[in-house]
Amino acid sequence: MTGVYTNTTFVDAYRGAGRPEATYVIERAMDLFAREIGMDRAEIRRRNFIAPNAFPYDNPSGLGTASGGAKIYIDSGNYEPALDKALAMVGYEDLAARKADARLRGKYLGLGLSTYLEVCGVAPSKWIGAVGEGWGAAMWESSNIRVHLTGKVVLTIGTSPQGQGHETTYSQVISHELGVPVDDVIVQHSDTQGTPFGYGSYGSRTSSVGSTAAIKAAGKIREKARRYAAHMLEAAPEDIEIDGANYSVRGSPDKVKTLQEIAFALDLAFDTPVGMEPYLDETAYYDPTNCTWPFGTHIAIVEIDEETGHVDLVRYVAVDDVGNKINPMIVDGQLHGGIAQGVGQALWEGAVYDDQGQLLSGSLLDYALPRAAWLPSFELDETVTPSPVNPIGVKGVGEAGAIASTAAVANAVVDALGPLGVRHLDMPYTPQTVWRAIQTAKGGQA
Amino acid sequence: MTSLAFDYRRADSVDQALALLAEADPGTKVLAGGHSLLPIMKTRLARPDRLIDIGRLNELRGVNRLGDGGLSIGALTTYSELLANPAITVYGLLADVLPTIGDVQVRNRGTIGGAVAHVDPAADLPACLLVLDAEVVVRSARGGRTIALTSFFEGAFNSVLLPDELITEIRLPAASGDYRSAYRAQEQPASGYALAGAAVVIGRSTGGGGRFDRAAIGITGVGECPYRASAAEQEFLSSGDPAAAAAHATDGVLVASDIHADREYRTALIRVQVRRALEAAIERVG
Repeated sequence: MTGVYTNTTFVDAYRGAGRPEATYVIERAMDLFAREIGMDRAEIRRRNFIAPNAFPYDNPSGLGTASGGAKIYIDSGNYEPALDKALAMVGYEDLAARKADARLRGKYLGLGLSTYLEVCGVAPSKWIGAVGEGWGAAMWESSNIRVHLTGKVVLTIGTSPQGQGHETTYSQVISHELGVPVDDVIVQHSDTQGTPFGYGSYGSRTSSVGSTAAIKAAGKIREKARRYAAHMLEAAPEDIEIDGANYSVRGSPDKVKTLQEIAFALDLAFDTPVGMEPYLDETAYYDPTNCTWPFGTHIAIVEIDEETGHVDLVRYVAVDDVGNKINPMIVDGQLHGGIAQGVGQALWEGAVYDDQGQLLSGSLLDYALPRAAWLPSFELDETVTPSPVNPIGVKGVGEAGAIASTAAVANAVVDALGPLGVRHLDMPYTPQTVWRAIQTAKGGQA
Repeated sequence: MTSLAFDYRRADSVDQALALLAEADPGTKVLAGGHSLLPIMKTRLARPDRLIDIGRLNELRGVNRLGDGGLSIGALTTYSELLANPAITVYGLLADVLPTIGDVQVRNRGTIGGAVAHVDPAADLPACLLVLDAEVVVRSARGGRTIALTSFFEGAFNSVLLPDELITEIRLPAASGDYRSAYRAQEQPASGYALAGAAVVIGRSTGGGGRFDRAAIGITGVGECPYRASAAEQEFLSSGDPAAAAAHATDGVLVASDIHADREYRTALIRVQVRRALEAAIERVG
């Protein structure tokens, strides 16, 4: 074993953590192979898609086979519709004409495909904790729900957002589960003095793993509320019907108590059945049985200035399938941010050192992060293939944009330079890098 | 990071500023808008031991028409104030470039005098002022002088300004005749400064036979400081060919090299910008 000490910036998990790298390698390889055998780039992907009737699908790469008893397989998918939709949106058939038009303006136009598949909702603890397979951690999630005597519902959770809007999405889930207005749900997180232990928000796991824990806790709340409603209404618990926040006796719809009335009485607790504890306060833990597998097709179109090497991202189309969506606007926001982040890696970002190990891109005056003005308006669409892994059929979207977009832009840049004979170019595609590739390809001095 | 400790004096009049400058040592810096100076103090690339704040000297703010039709621009006039002044509309170059400098905050704080005094090698405005034949009016407790901008810059962050001198105004001669201008630059994406930028003003005298008999080409981001590409100007005047002129854009200049653009790329890039700026100016009507 050789140990190496370095003072260069360490590498750590970044949005997508592993899937952007894998996607980049796969998508570049697909393009190189398509070119090698003279097949259309969309067609070669189409032929290699897992068939829609093959799910649940065992990944032949062996993922999950040594997983201490947990079985990891691709949950659900239907890849071709997303590809077809994206190709139609971008006008794939007209590509040659648009390339020719760009040449008249001194530009090289290129189109890049990224038909990504990623993995979210980590993960069964049996697998992720398995020696040699996972990383020796558990990955269950937790939630606690208390219904105050006012009827306000407080959800505390073990996941911990960094701005993803979890207060909104969890409120929607609990509102749906307990029949209370969204505004009556208070979501508390990230304070270890008051939240249950959990494994946090990463790996796009909150919607699938965290929400399921919350739904389990809500189920426990409903069951206790049902038992107490039965006590209040002098009926058997199995005769209580639940419709939203209303708990009524089957066949006697006028005999009804609301969740707020139940919570109020159970909080005062001067009249509780023998053996029932006061208050509506339930905690649940959820260890997922499998991961979830979002997918989609992203297409980038770039124009390269042949004299300066400047790359302009002129169009970006994304058709993502993240299963069911709790809040479509938040999903779009996640995609927008992720796409921009991935484009940044492809076009601008890079840690540059001199030969003495001195970091030269040491501040934001030299390290370029993407800015809104450099990006086109993203064109988004969807297909919906629910996940069977969790009760609400969600897959996760926190990283999908960043997983897909870097490869899409890379393929677009290399496609643009294809007429010059360029087969591959490493990121980031700064103007200097692209200019030099053009000069080299044209047989210049560079 | 935060800056090192420094002594701070605020001038309440130009005369007081000049008195403070009269006792200045090389560690003294004048603070105007602060959008160039303060960031480099925070990173400690600049470590002044004293700042003289002239930011409240309203006598140095504003634009006035001179008797010969030229403009006098107070050194403390911000980019935003300049842009909003109808007098600059005849200088199409400034109207084009000022809105692209920095962002709203920078344009609201940055001053024309500061841009000239700072001598950033890649700032946009100095290249434009060079081709507009600007003059720099400076004062000190000893008196005053007027310096052609073409003789003002000496190198990166370095000018002929003496330690006791203060820039009080920038003068532009009248824009007359067939005046056409353009600015073309490629930004360094992180900083927004020009990786290579070219400002051009070309013109034809009435009765000059249709030939361009005036050509000024100012370049930024390429050399140690913004400069006039004299050889390129001469080539354009004799051949009228933008590409031929652009080939001389870096004659006699040690072209800068950094992680964003090495010498070879930057040289190629500025030739493209000069040619495109000249072509755009030729195409431009009026």
